[in-house]
Amino acid sequence: MEFFLLVQAVVNGVMLGLFYALIALGLSLIFGIMGIVNFAHGEMYMLGGYVAYYLFGTFGLNYFAAMIAALILIGGLGALLEKIIFRPLTARPQMALTSMIAALGLAWVFQMMAIICFGELDKKVPSVFKGIIHIAGAVLSKERLAAIIIGTVLISMLNLFLLRTKAGNAIRAVAQDKEAAALQGVNVNRISALSFSIGCGLAASAGVLMAPIFVINPSVGSDVILKTFLVVVLGGMGSIPGALLGALLLGFIESFGCLFFNVPTVSVLSFILILIILLVRPQGLLGRD
Amino acid sequence: MPLITQEPYTFHILCLIGINVIFACSLNAILNVGELNLAHAAFMGIGAYSSTLLVMRLNLSFWVAMPLAMILAAIVSLFIGSITLRFKGAYFLLFTFLFAELIRVLLSNFGVSLFGGIPGITNIPGPSIYIGNLVRIHFSSKIHFYYLILILTLFTIFVMRRIDQSRIGMVFKAISQSDVLAESIGISSMKFKILGCALGCFFAGMAGSLYAHFVGIITPPDFAVHAVLTPIAYVVIGGIGSVLGPVIGTVFLMMLSHFFLRQFGFYEMLIYGVIIVLIIRFMPEGLISLPRRLQMRFGKPR
Repeated sequence: MEFFLLVQAVVNGVMLGLFYALIALGLSLIFGIMGIVNFAHGEMYMLGGYVAYYLFGTFGLNYFAAMIAALILIGGLGALLEKIIFRPLTARPQMALTSMIAALGLAWVFQMMAIICFGELDKKVPSVFKGIIHIAGAVLSKERLAAIIIGTVLISMLNLFLLRTKAGNAIRAVAQDKEAAALQGVNVNRISALSFSIGCGLAASAGVLMAPIFVINPSVGSDVILKTFLVVVLGGMGSIPGALLGALLLGFIESFGCLFFNVPTVSVLSFILILIILLVRPQGLLGRD
Repeated sequence: MPLITQEPYTFHILCLIGINVIFACSLNAILNVGELNLAHAAFMGIGAYSSTLLVMRLNLSFWVAMPLAMILAAIVSLFIGSITLRFKGAYFLLFTFLFAELIRVLLSNFGVSLFGGIPGITNIPGPSIYIGNLVRIHFSSKIHFYYLILILTLFTIFVMRRIDQSRIGMVFKAISQSDVLAESIGISSMKFKILGCALGCFFAGMAGSLYAHFVGIITPPDFAVHAVLTPIAYVVIGGIGSVLGPVIGTVFLMMLSHFFLRQFGFYEMLIYGVIIVLIIRFMPEGLISLPRRLQMRFGKPR
């Protein structure tokens, strides 16, 4: 095994891991707060990609401005969905299932709207950071390194927000115990809307981040949602550090596995590995029991 | 139904509805013990592939192959269930999800000469009945198949109803409401969960076998995780936990998409999705609660 291949595999693993993490963190946040498995979460990623395509690719807006626009637009969409669709469902019996099916229906609606509005063909966003860097004999594209840096910044910002701000503390309090948080004067409804919009915004930012590297089409969301679901459960449902760890683990398994085996074997091996991890630690890597 | 129309397309859809009703009922059997099985389509796939291979490779008759396929699906589910049913809720979902993906990847990439790889298996023969030279029915025509599926669908609903009304059905309901409470009165919830799972997978195997011999082509993605999401919507839209809920949900949504929304072409899935979201939003108990809701709104108080 040559050294530069290892370096490349590490970079690819970190990038894939951060990409899964950006989507999985929101999924985990929403599950922790509201107990909803949001199957429409991948579509937020897809819509983020289209925001990048139109604002950055077509209208020539600054890339970072496009990312902030995606955060605000899709975050707002998330808050709206929480208010008109998911919040009324949480008080009903069997809410885990009904909210899942509602999210599934929404996912179809967004996919079809994307096909109708944007067309079903792949769209490619022009590359933002052009060129390559040589590190220790490995050839790395600046684009991927930039994605790693921006992804790290976004996740650190989320972490600071959750740990250091009043709203972040409120979110963590609601995730631990809804009634107790409400008794302390936390407005649970507002916190639910906030965490839903943060989750959707993060997924959209992943869309902006990955649009220049992968292609976007209306079905990218449904391709990615099942993998991030796996990441969330691997890390521990509702656990934020767990989701990050699970995402990086899956990213590394995929990038290193591809060095030695073909793609189907890698997916079989990664499933078996995750099954073994969960048999040993059923609550997930960092989950509470 | 044959009195009204002879159009093959209608019978094709009716047959598919019947197969989906069987599948939705079998999914509901597992939901009855409080768990959602994302690998349910994989068990349908086990039924479909095993019945196809038994007929095409070993030259068995369909009437032998279908029960064998059903039993095989149930046996695999006993094995998988005894491992995975130790986990609850989201973790059970994940394990079944992994199992479904595993089956899909294995079927598409390994044993290609047997399972046909990604293109799957084609030209699967339909069943036929020969009794001497007197009775010869070949179920290649849609109308004959329609009667076969109709009988088996009614049989499935009948069995599900009998179980629902029996003592075992009561135990299932108790476990789905609270398995801890059920265990406190001496019910082995694990044993009954495995039983409920095997029951569901038994009928999933039947749906799979019928699907294979009716459509004539099976491919691995037909039985992937995505294939189980739509039937979950049928069950939830119809009403979870009741016997007739999944039947109503399947018939309603499939009729809607195949006979009514077809004319909207491109917008079909869009309208379909909107209708599902609206029904869930305003009727979370499912369509089966509609009469009661109407009565509450317009009827006289009793």
